[in-house]
Amino acid sequence: MVMGNTQLSLRENLSLELRRGALVLAVLTELRHEEYGYSLKKLLADKGLEIDEGTLYPLLRRLEGQGLLKSDWRVEDGRPRRYYRASAQGEKLARELAAEWQKLAGVIGALIK
Amino acid sequence: MELVDRYVHEVGQYLPSRLRADVEAELRSLLTESIEERARTAGRPADAQLATDALREFGVPRDVASRYAPEPQYLIGPRLYPTYRTAVKIMIPILAAVVLVLMVIGQFQHQGEPPSIAPFIRATESFLSSVLFNLGVMTFIFALVERAMQNREAVGTAWDPATLPPVNDPDRISYFGRIFALYLIAALALLFNFFPEWVGVVVFHNTDTQVIPLLEPAFARYLPLLNTWWALAFALNLVVLRQSQWRRTTRWADLALEVFNGVILLVIVAGPPVFAYDMWAKLVLQVFLVISVIKACAMLYRLLVRRTFEPWARS
Repeated sequence: MVMGNTQLSLRENLSLELRRGALVLAVLTELRHEEYGYSLKKLLADKGLEIDEGTLYPLLRRLEGQGLLKSDWRVEDGRPRRYYRASAQGEKLARELAAEWQKLAGVIGALIK
Repeated sequence: MELVDRYVHEVGQYLPSRLRADVEAELRSLLTESIEERARTAGRPADAQLATDALREFGVPRDVASRYAPEPQYLIGPRLYPTYRTAVKIMIPILAAVVLVLMVIGQFQHQGEPPSIAPFIRATESFLSSVLFNLGVMTFIFALVERAMQNREAVGTAWDPATLPPVNDPDRISYFGRIFALYLIAALALLFNFFPEWVGVVVFHNTDTQVIPLLEPAFARYLPLLNTWWALAFALNLVVLRQSQWRRTTRWADLALEVFNGVILLVIVAGPPVFAYDMWAKLVLQVFLVISVIKACAMLYRLLVRRTFEPWARS
């Protein structure tokens, strides 16, 4: 049982690691159009990528701190919302990461066939 | 919603103050929206149960805050922590041994008296206060070095393998040695400035053990000179640690400090009486002065003879 739990936790950790890099690419790609945190989460979930809110929102702030996103506060439906959008640098990086991803996916796909 | 307010406030407590208000505002807005969405899906008004579910999914406040924090939130990081642990492991037995030896000598002096636990209590008090004092100084030094090294890495350029020092590099520094020097400088500066009565000779009377202060009040006239030396020596050690090796400029600065040290010793030795046992204290200082002169000559010889420095020892 202990062994089972350990293996489950190991699988979860490795799976998280696998997703972590892809998450940045997904966020930068989706933020070619302006979104706020919650709408981005729903958008990604609708496309099949579920992300914890506690992971996504801090990630947005970090990417903004790195100059890859820009943001501004706006009041909509009586609610203040912080809207994010990829900066020019973020869009350039998203294109580079996408090319890298395609290449990697091809290689890994061939390896695991 | 009160639960959301409590949660947002809790996350904010773990954030740096410059981020706090902004992150709290965004978090409150996002959480409220998330809870309302849950209420729409459940077909009922937002309530405490829905808020609890949303917050549980969001995560433990401390973990969430750590994901927002732009830099590592620790005093002593994983690179320096093993050295810090070793330093503490060495310091505690040394302090215990010193206190124990003093207690045993005291007991020896009081032979024939009825047994008492008073010396043991005094020794325990003395041990605990020394541990706290030294631990405080040591933690401060390590935290300072951690910050200094973080800043260096933040502004660091791309690493060049050509800068790797040779295996037997005379300019390689011992991190432990440099940090220990910082600790000694800080401890001496604190001792002489704030606890001069602790600098003295331990004597054993029939009834008690006490420290006879060595420094006369007139000694304070030398404190500005000593403080200048300590500040410069402290700064030099920090610079050497940041650079992770000795360079030509820091070697010359070290020599200048050694000469300054000799001058201070000379001024004290030649000056008016400032010690309780002035003749003996100055005899010891004269020995230190001779050592300082020999050391300065050796450093000068090394600097002048080793004229060409390797490319990795850039100044």
